[in-house]
Amino acid sequence: MTAGPVLKIENLRTFFYSRSKQAFSRAVDGVDLALEKGETLGIVGESGSGKSVTALSVMGLVTAEPGVVSGKIGLKTDGIQKNLLQNIEDYVNMTQNNGRIMHVSKDNRGWQRHVDRHLRGVRGKEIAMIFQNPKASMNPFSSVGRQIQEAVLLNTSIKNPREAKERALYWLEQVKIDSPQLRYDNNPFGLSGGMCQRAMIAMALSSEPSVLIADEPTTGLDATIQSKIVSLLAELKSSVGVTTLLISHDIDVIKTLSDRVAVMYGGRVLEYGPSRDILSKVDNEKHPYTAALLASIPTARQIREKSYLQAIKGDVIDTINLPRGCRFYPRCRQVTDQIREQCKQREPDLREIASNQSVRCWLYFDA
Amino acid sequence: MRYPAFFKARSAMKLASIRPITVLISRELAIAVLLLLGVSFVVFLVLFLSPGDPFSSLLKEQMTSAAGSHPGESAPWYSQYLLWLANITRGNLGTSIRTGLPVLNEVIRVGINTLYLTLGSLLVTLLIAVPIAIVSARHGLTPVNWVLTMFTYVASALPVFWLAYIVIYISMHRFGLFPLAFGSSTQKWNWLHFMLPVLVLGLSNGTMGEVVRHMREELSRVFSEEYICTARAKGASIWKHAFKEGFLIPITEIIAAKIPYILGGAVVVEQVFNWPGMGRMAWQAAQDRDYPLIMAITLMAAIFVRLGSLIHRAVHIVVNPRSSRE
Repeated sequence: MTAGPVLKIENLRTFFYSRSKQAFSRAVDGVDLALEKGETLGIVGESGSGKSVTALSVMGLVTAEPGVVSGKIGLKTDGIQKNLLQNIEDYVNMTQNNGRIMHVSKDNRGWQRHVDRHLRGVRGKEIAMIFQNPKASMNPFSSVGRQIQEAVLLNTSIKNPREAKERALYWLEQVKIDSPQLRYDNNPFGLSGGMCQRAMIAMALSSEPSVLIADEPTTGLDATIQSKIVSLLAELKSSVGVTTLLISHDIDVIKTLSDRVAVMYGGRVLEYGPSRDILSKVDNEKHPYTAALLASIPTARQIREKSYLQAIKGDVIDTINLPRGCRFYPRCRQVTDQIREQCKQREPDLREIASNQSVRCWLYFDA
Repeated sequence: MRYPAFFKARSAMKLASIRPITVLISRELAIAVLLLLGVSFVVFLVLFLSPGDPFSSLLKEQMTSAAGSHPGESAPWYSQYLLWLANITRGNLGTSIRTGLPVLNEVIRVGINTLYLTLGSLLVTLLIAVPIAIVSARHGLTPVNWVLTMFTYVASALPVFWLAYIVIYISMHRFGLFPLAFGSSTQKWNWLHFMLPVLVLGLSNGTMGEVVRHMREELSRVFSEEYICTARAKGASIWKHAFKEGFLIPITEIIAAKIPYILGGAVVVEQVFNWPGMGRMAWQAAQDRDYPLIMAITLMAAIFVRLGSLIHRAVHIVVNPRSSRE
């Protein structure tokens, strides 16, 4: 019945070339993800682990001048079927000397034009996106309703402005904004952050996309609003059933909403599998990084006793100077003497250790 | 917690409602009137305190006859000012001491000429500067953009009078275009006599570089705003979304800010090209100490400047609903 995943990301690499250091910052370094129809795939990880850049690469929004994207992103829906990264490497010119990159030049204009042309009919229509910081993500010079109406007119079969307005109002109702008729004419500055995010969600869904990318939808909102947005997303998931790529550093959000989860660190997926198993606190087999992330969430007892929070020691890896071995090795607390050398010298690959659960760690397999 | 439904609706309406634009415009107009009053007072005081008087720069017999026909002349300065103000409310700006013509008609006549010159040169400046700014905001400083931007910087650094004389020299000696007087020529190149001063002032009024810089900076700032990213993500045109904040507001801002400079440049250009405008008349009036004329011209210039910022405010209010609640 299912004809493969809707969105299949294969070996995605998004690098940013630093001219002063003459090296690439490998923001996303060989990520493989597959998004099945109807499911929610969560991506979790610390800040700077490449989650958002993955999403931006999918949408062709990597605009920073020296950004280089390679790999394959297959989009396969009822309407469209193409590789979103087709020919994108043609616009980058690299001069190498003994395997060392000496200079990177990018035809920025051509790149931009190519991406815009190639993704016409994909952006909005097939893949819609919700951003973090909802207040800044809405055009402050236009009313909320107008912006949703615009999305409807652009991306659906509705071409009549009045019908589009009705549709926009319908979606404003769906995201449970109070008095949608009034909110329709409000400008974003007249709305609170939570309402803005609801409007953003309405705008994304009003395009009736095949895939929804939610890039940190709860970041920048206060805690009570966060939980409301999460429950709204959960409700919409069951009622609308849109395929979602959910990105968050908040493990609870991911645990509530996603079916499967990918744990990212330093531009790589370290663990990939059903979120119920991976993000449960029960001590089953999981990557040391996932375990450390889970341990950093304070338990009810810790909060009650006001004990110290368990942070992960060290900083997020610098993706310019990568170690030879495992990327998490410098911060890993579960290294045993048995595998220490291996961790230091060779990077493990992502291997299936249980049903559907893949881990990138030497703890669970040998060479 | 339970407000009646109508109360809730009304408070929400209040949030959304925008003060009628007429109220805002009339407030701006009131401010303009106060400003003009202040300008006229200061100029009057400066004129009163400055050395020299119209009569020492006119012929003896004219002086005596003029003094005889102006009973207010010997009154103290404040009563002179009040008299002048009272006359203005009746639409009477007095008569020129030098020519004896009513000032109002004279000033309107030259004011229109100056308006042609300033608006024309503003148009020239914008037509050159804005495309450069837009292209370099979108695509960064490519070599071509860099050269064009440099050209605008150099052009705006050229002194107006220097460029004006060079242009006159070239047009006269190379192409035999003569005479270069406003509207006095019946040759087929008449339109050129009109265009040359406009072009010269448009090129070198010193604002072009500023326009390019301001427009480029604002537009590229807006392009990196998050809502432009949203627009791109939903497949909308980023130009459409960037237009209001990135183009409309900065362009009116820069026009409002640069009108005084262009008026200043107009004085020089009108001198050089014999353009019968306000600047030339102001120059003449200042030399003659023609008080009523100086007052009227200053007021006119103040009105031009104020009009520029009024347009800017109006656009700002219409475009940006936030500013209407300030």
